[in-house]
Amino acid sequence: MLAFSQGSTEAFAELFGRYKQPLYGFFRRRLGDPARAEELTQETFLVVLRSASRYEPRALFRTYLYAIGFKILRAHRHRTVLRATILGLRKPEQAPSVLEAHDANLAVREALSRLDSIGREILLLREFEQLSYSEIADLLRLPVNTVRSRLFRARATLRDILAAPAPQAAPTKFTESEEHA
Amino acid sequence: MNTVTHPVVPEQVMAFLDGELPSAQAQSVFEHVKHCADCASLAAELANTQRQLATWSVDALPLRVESALLQKLERQNTPLRDPGWPSRVRGPIGVRPLLAISGAATALVIVFLFARVSGRSYLAKYMEPRPTSPSVAALGARGGTTPRQIPNKSKAIAEYEALSRETQQMATNASLDLDGASEGVGRGEGAGNGPSDEDGRVAPDFHQPMIARTVSLTILTKDFPASRAQLDAILARYHGYAAQLTANNAENRARSITASLRIPASELSVAINALKNLGHVETESQSGEEITQQHADLVARLKNAHETETRLQAILQQRTGKVADVLAVEQEIARVRGEIEQMEAERKALEHRVDFGSIELNLTEEYKAQLDGSSPSVSTRMHNALVNGFEHAAESLLGLLLFFMEAGPVLLLWGALLVLPAFLVIRRYRRAVTAV
Repeated sequence: MLAFSQGSTEAFAELFGRYKQPLYGFFRRRLGDPARAEELTQETFLVVLRSASRYEPRALFRTYLYAIGFKILRAHRHRTVLRATILGLRKPEQAPSVLEAHDANLAVREALSRLDSIGREILLLREFEQLSYSEIADLLRLPVNTVRSRLFRARATLRDILAAPAPQAAPTKFTESEEHA
Repeated sequence: MNTVTHPVVPEQVMAFLDGELPSAQAQSVFEHVKHCADCASLAAELANTQRQLATWSVDALPLRVESALLQKLERQNTPLRDPGWPSRVRGPIGVRPLLAISGAATALVIVFLFARVSGRSYLAKYMEPRPTSPSVAALGARGGTTPRQIPNKSKAIAEYEALSRETQQMATNASLDLDGASEGVGRGEGAGNGPSDEDGRVAPDFHQPMIARTVSLTILTKDFPASRAQLDAILARYHGYAAQLTANNAENRARSITASLRIPASELSVAINALKNLGHVETESQSGEEITQQHADLVARLKNAHETETRLQAILQQRTGKVADVLAVEQEIARVRGEIEQMEAERKALEHRVDFGSIELNLTEEYKAQLDGSSPSVSTRMHNALVNGFEHAAESLLGLLLFFMEAGPVLLLWGALLVLPAFLVIRRYRRAVTAV
């Protein structure tokens, strides 16, 4: 990143090659619309590019990247919810687990969707983005002990949900926009 | 699980599996898990959950996204193409804004130079030097300023001069008093090179540009009474008068005089010099307004009106008709005569502005405060300040109370109307944010 901030194109190409898929996965696991996930991935890299000159190596680049991605995701969620609440244009975007009911990993996604939002976010950051407890704490602005306890609770809940016999699957209703997505 | 049989809490087992424990603590947890069936079971379950989660894979980022992003990056990041560009050259505002600013500055300079060159050629074309009249030349020489040059005589100006001469002749023949406004003060030589009328007074020379001069002076004087006396003497010496004068003689403050003086144009410059000797000149400004065209229009209209009047009088004398027709002609003559009188007055006023320069004088005393033993004591002033403070506090409280009494019902009404929808919207928004 330091080389990139000094203008090295090759450095950026390497960063992009290394993190494009994890970052896309970060958005893809949190958003129902793949196109939106692609768009936010692009936006995150653009922000990294624009702020390269101001980059200070105070943490791992991975943490820096996910912090930017998390802010962009949060802003996107707020925009979506605000639009849905005030203007009533469309329903807020659903988590992928609800949308992709035909997928083979339905049980895992369904179980994740039943977790509380903070616990789910901590669990996703730990399991898929491989962030340490302290990195998650910095990102979510929570104490490390809180992160650990919430993570344990989320894992225990997930374990119980996955261990329980699967309920009779009800046909999932899709909205028009979700079907297009 | 309890802390007696399990010195290691389940969260520590999880942290151990995640590699988040310090090495010493990790070793003790590892030893415990080896011998504790419950904790080993918990570790196995957590590992199993992790394995289940790991089955959730995400499709690869499409190549089109990658290429689109790279295109965007290339468009938005010009410096990236040239890694050798030093960051200190880019500066905090980047290269593109700098280039834009430089381009705009260059364009401005070009426009400015073009405007100057064009302006010079225009002036060279239309501002050829022409001989100034002795009066104007004298005025300029005395005042240290040169009267503004005007464009060369055009056809309109030539017609105007002819009209002026005719009008002067007609006015003289009709024994009109053209110089009433300047009676008593005399017309200066500067504007007096024109033909003389029956009383020997000199009519203005309309061959020269007519310039109404205005001067503004702000003077600070140490000896106010002496300056006041000198001001009166200057007015008398240069045949001027005060069109308006306001004197402020308040005690314990700087005295001042604000006056609008009228000085014959021929003596304006020397009068200004004399006024400057009253004290220290703080500000001075001089301006000249050319009213030649305005005067020309007026003279032309006046000539037409005179001719109309002459024709009407001829009709009245030579034609016979009904009484009503005669009355109508007389009414028309009266109307035209009224217009002539009005235009004559305007003409006199214009010429008076040329004949008499205007000086806006602000004469202020350089005030030195005197020690005043009669001022109230400190305790009295503090008491008064305290009383004033309480009064102001009471007034502000009363004002606040009155405001709420006046606007309160409206605020309550709108609050009652809006609070429920606002609460519902906020609650829905919070729930939606939490849900995603």
